[in-house]
Amino acid sequence: MGIKIDALKCTNCMACEMACSFHRDDGFAFLSSSIMAYRAREKKDYFGVLLKEEENLITARPEGLDVSRIGEEADSDKEADASAKPILLREGCDLCEDMEDYGPLCVAICPVDAISYEE
Amino acid sequence: MEYLSTDKILIIDLAASKVEEEEVDESLVSSKIGGAGITKHLFEKHQDGGDPVVIGTGLLTGTTYPASATSVMTTKSPVTGKICHCPIIFKVGVEIKYAGYDYIVVKGAANAPVYLWIHDGVADIMDASNIWGKDVWESTDYLREFAGDDLLQTMLIGKAGENQLDHAQVCYNHWNSPDRFGIGKIFGSKNLKGFAFRGMGLIDAADPESFLGRSLEILKDIKSNSFMSKKGVGELGAAVGDNDLSAWLDPIVHRHSADYFTPYATITGLFMDEDPGLVEETKVAEPGVLVTDVSALSSCKKLGLSAEEAGRLLKACAKFGIDPLAVTRLSGKNSLEELQNAFEGLSGTLELPGNAVFSPWAPVKPIFNDFGLSGDSGELTAWWERRQAVALVFGIQPLFILMSPEITEENLLEMANIGTELEIDAETLNDVISYVSEAS
Repeated sequence: MGIKIDALKCTNCMACEMACSFHRDDGFAFLSSSIMAYRAREKKDYFGVLLKEEENLITARPEGLDVSRIGEEADSDKEADASAKPILLREGCDLCEDMEDYGPLCVAICPVDAISYEE
Repeated sequence: MEYLSTDKILIIDLAASKVEEEEVDESLVSSKIGGAGITKHLFEKHQDGGDPVVIGTGLLTGTTYPASATSVMTTKSPVTGKICHCPIIFKVGVEIKYAGYDYIVVKGAANAPVYLWIHDGVADIMDASNIWGKDVWESTDYLREFAGDDLLQTMLIGKAGENQLDHAQVCYNHWNSPDRFGIGKIFGSKNLKGFAFRGMGLIDAADPESFLGRSLEILKDIKSNSFMSKKGVGELGAAVGDNDLSAWLDPIVHRHSADYFTPYATITGLFMDEDPGLVEETKVAEPGVLVTDVSALSSCKKLGLSAEEAGRLLKACAKFGIDPLAVTRLSGKNSLEELQNAFEGLSGTLELPGNAVFSPWAPVKPIFNDFGLSGDSGELTAWWERRQAVALVFGIQPLFILMSPEITEENLLEMANIGTELEIDAETLNDVISYVSEAS
């Protein structure tokens, strides 16, 4: 059960980031989102999606998914990225449990169906 | 203005090196709605110190309304001598509102080069001596490194603007923009290198639940449209008459991406110095260029350039900060080397459609859907100007509004009223469309 992300379908539009924050803040923001469009490598046209779950950080890269346990030491071979750090300070995904009409909002709002929910 | 707004107008006097703020009066939104409606009003109001440059967010910019990606820059074009409205796209248009301001008025000229650092509701006039003389790419990289934030969004001029050349563009991040008005020249004349934006604001809606619910209904309608199976500038080109553009471009296409919450990916990444099929992150620092300009690409193709050469030309134009369509159409050159050497001496004018207030970077044609148009050229231009006006008042992506009949004036007004608790009616919208569209 959980959110599935297809980074190859993603067009880096940030709608998921807005929707998640909307669910937490009841307004338009990007501040509180558990999901982020990864867009720090703009000149390289490289992008994907980061999702913070309760215990895991999901990194949906075009080449595949990485799942890392939050709190474990990062792989020293991987380049640290300052723009990815804020998500670790945020609440984990709660699957929008209070949004009964829609289910997870990131799934509902993704215009290209890059995000899905598996029961 | 409590809703869909930061409630702040920033007024910067470069000559006096002074920054002031005003509130956004509800009465102003009731009469001029937002975006280009209010930027034009502010342009006319702040004439002390010569013609200002006014940046503004649309009333719905950065919300859950689909394709609410866009802001607008209004000033007097050195190309036309008249007021023009240039869309602010990519993620820059949204960042302006979240950085803390609905509108920014820049008056006068600075004594020495400056840039404006707008961040979380604070505006600083910064010494630009470290970036004046640098190209657009070097300057954006420098500012991101200086702020320690790769997500900082910029609007900058390159050497074309600094040297006040005709057809100098204001570029967005590293990329060429819809600026077909030579606004880069105005920045140069003000000693203004440009803007850096970053912010994490919160924008309230009067009725957030209804706003979200209607947004998702409109999105659902959009997702049933056949254009959702398409992506990128190549297919846009085919839709507006350049049938071979996709096949010509495909060998160097890397990925397609979108402006904020824009269902169609209007940005195409081209790789000239890396394998376009590469999926993982390239180790090449500058493998290619992001493009949105269908007309410039088509023009390169017509000159006989290969797609790779076109990519290299567009990259050079973005770094130099010059309109690539002006380079291909006005230089009289047709080889990559000659075209790249023609930036400095470029002269002449491009024909702009209609009243010349909107940028033909957005093609003067319906895209993927016919919108019930007859094909009459007068009707087409009037339709295009009206769609562009609506886009730049509410903050809708200007290419997307030409392809999606699901974006209607009725549901934009409905959402504006749900979001603000105002009662803006169709007559007011008509007045605002006329106001922003007229030549003046």
